[in-house]
Amino acid sequence: MIIQTKGITKIYNPNKIPVNALNGVDLQIEEGEFTAIVGPSGSGKTTLLNIIGGLDQATQGEVLIKGENISKMPDNQLIDFRKNNIGFVFQAYNLIPVLTAKENVGFVMLLQNRSKEERDQRVLELLQSVGLEDKVNKRPSELSGGQQQRVAVARALAPKPAFILADEPTANLDSVSTNNLLDIMARLNEEEKMTFIFSTHDQRVIDRARRVITLVDGKIASDQVKS
Amino acid sequence: MILIMAWRNIWRNPTRSWVVIAAIALGIWAAIFMSGFATGMMNSYVDGAISNIVGHIQIHHPSFQEDKETKYIISELDLLTEEIKNYNNLKAMSLRSIGTGMIASSKGARGIEIQGVDPDSEATVRQLDTKIIDGDYLNVEKRNPILISQRIADKLNVKIRSRVVLTFQDLEGEIISAAFRVNGIFDTKNNQFDEGHAFVLRSDLNRLLGADPNDAHEVGILLSEKEEIKNIVPQWASKFPSTKVEPYYIISPDLQLYESQMSSITMIYLVVILLALIFGIINTMLMTILERLRELGMLMAIGMNKVRVFLMIVLETFMLSFVGVPLGLLLGTLTISYFGQKGLNLSAFSESMQMYGMSDMVYFDLPAATYWQVPLLVGITALMASIYPAIKAIRLKPVEAIRKL
Repeated sequence: MIIQTKGITKIYNPNKIPVNALNGVDLQIEEGEFTAIVGPSGSGKTTLLNIIGGLDQATQGEVLIKGENISKMPDNQLIDFRKNNIGFVFQAYNLIPVLTAKENVGFVMLLQNRSKEERDQRVLELLQSVGLEDKVNKRPSELSGGQQQRVAVARALAPKPAFILADEPTANLDSVSTNNLLDIMARLNEEEKMTFIFSTHDQRVIDRARRVITLVDGKIASDQVKS
Repeated sequence: MILIMAWRNIWRNPTRSWVVIAAIALGIWAAIFMSGFATGMMNSYVDGAISNIVGHIQIHHPSFQEDKETKYIISELDLLTEEIKNYNNLKAMSLRSIGTGMIASSKGARGIEIQGVDPDSEATVRQLDTKIIDGDYLNVEKRNPILISQRIADKLNVKIRSRVVLTFQDLEGEIISAAFRVNGIFDTKNNQFDEGHAFVLRSDLNRLLGADPNDAHEVGILLSEKEEIKNIVPQWASKFPSTKVEPYYIISPDLQLYESQMSSITMIYLVVILLALIFGIINTMLMTILERLRELGMLMAIGMNKVRVFLMIVLETFMLSFVGVPLGLLLGTLTISYFGQKGLNLSAFSESMQMYGMSDMVYFDLPAATYWQVPLLVGITALMASIYPAIKAIRLKPVEAIRKL
């Protein structure tokens, strides 16, 4: 088991007007899953992803990644943990605007102190696998939304994380770019056994997912594994 | 990579970066300008005082300076002058007899210090011959010639070849009077000095004082290296204990006070400039961080630790400084070089400047150390200014920062 959450509760503004974003979410995700977390706006999808990713802390409950409890980890340790174990793909791409595609992809590996040779080789492989080998020296502003998101996927994969969290990754993409991105992620999932967890509204993503977890009012309403 | 990111980050908004760079460059230029101007003013005052009044070193009888009585003649003068002449760094030396008394014409009288000098040697120490604006310098061929300043000439209503009477005490304490003829009128541009001094031949004054022709009350010395003062004064003082050997800043403590005041004023200006710079940099860097909240949050989300984020913000500030500092130094150096050669004409304030013994042309000068001190201070300022924005950056919660639009 790669991810396990135990009774995750998240309450925003606990001292003012409390908002229960998550109400005791128990979840297990195995290595190699291609999982979509769906649900209406405000159901707690992004909050759950943020807590699993160690970007936010649960009010109650625990998150175990590869058996390690990250719920009480100090900030700096958590940053290191994220760097080595979790890949992020954001809705708004969030590439580093002053770096080229190649530099963006290699950035986390650089933070991991990997050698230049290793970085260069992996970055090239990844950019090839997302079909952007001809854009290595382009900055984000010179790339389309779809291309930027593919660079973001390559960046998330670069440090060889345990899994990738993608928050509404197709929300800003047209259908061609969406299908393209989903093809790439599905292939990486199948070929490299990379675990993907999406939060999404997008039916195209839901259709491609092999497991769909539906959140309603901060609780898991259904958990469907496709055959 | 952090260096590259920091460098590229500062050029994301070139206009803003150039404004900060210009502010830093202008700050350095202003600091150098102020320092150069203040040093120039100080040099004008101190050098003016040295060349017109005190020289670098003066030697007297130990009691002479207290009440300037004519009986306090320097003893062992021959040995002393021989020693001084043998000193390698000696530029010029002049022996002076001094009497304090009155100068009178038919139109009025004034209190004055009468200095009996040897024209040639005095010219090398005080360059008095170059300050003559009417008539001639002292002439040993003439009988009782006197040099008076333009200000005294105006007040006594005398001109060249007019007769004036000097009254003073001789060595026995007797009051004596003697008539002198105005041979030349000088203007040293130092009102205080000009109003208080007149020059006659040492031989004339010694004769009237009843002193030996070779006697003197004062030895005025000019060195080729000002810095040598501190070495040679104690040497001579210990070798001739019956004399008092004093550097110019002891004889005229106002010179030392002026030097230290100018340094303090320059420092105050520098602090004000640097304070303005700090707030300018803090403001800019805070704006930069505010604009990049989401990006900074993302960097921390994907694994950039707080030390690196902090370092990146500090580096960005430093890089702005590193572009601004050479520009400011270049501008400052050019300004100092220009005004150092051509001088800044302050003739509009000539009256008040002369009152304080300063020339109305200020030639900028800058101690060499200023060229590294100012950039160092600006560097420290930039570092201080970067700390607060950098702390703001690392306090960001990635999840909150990423949510910001």
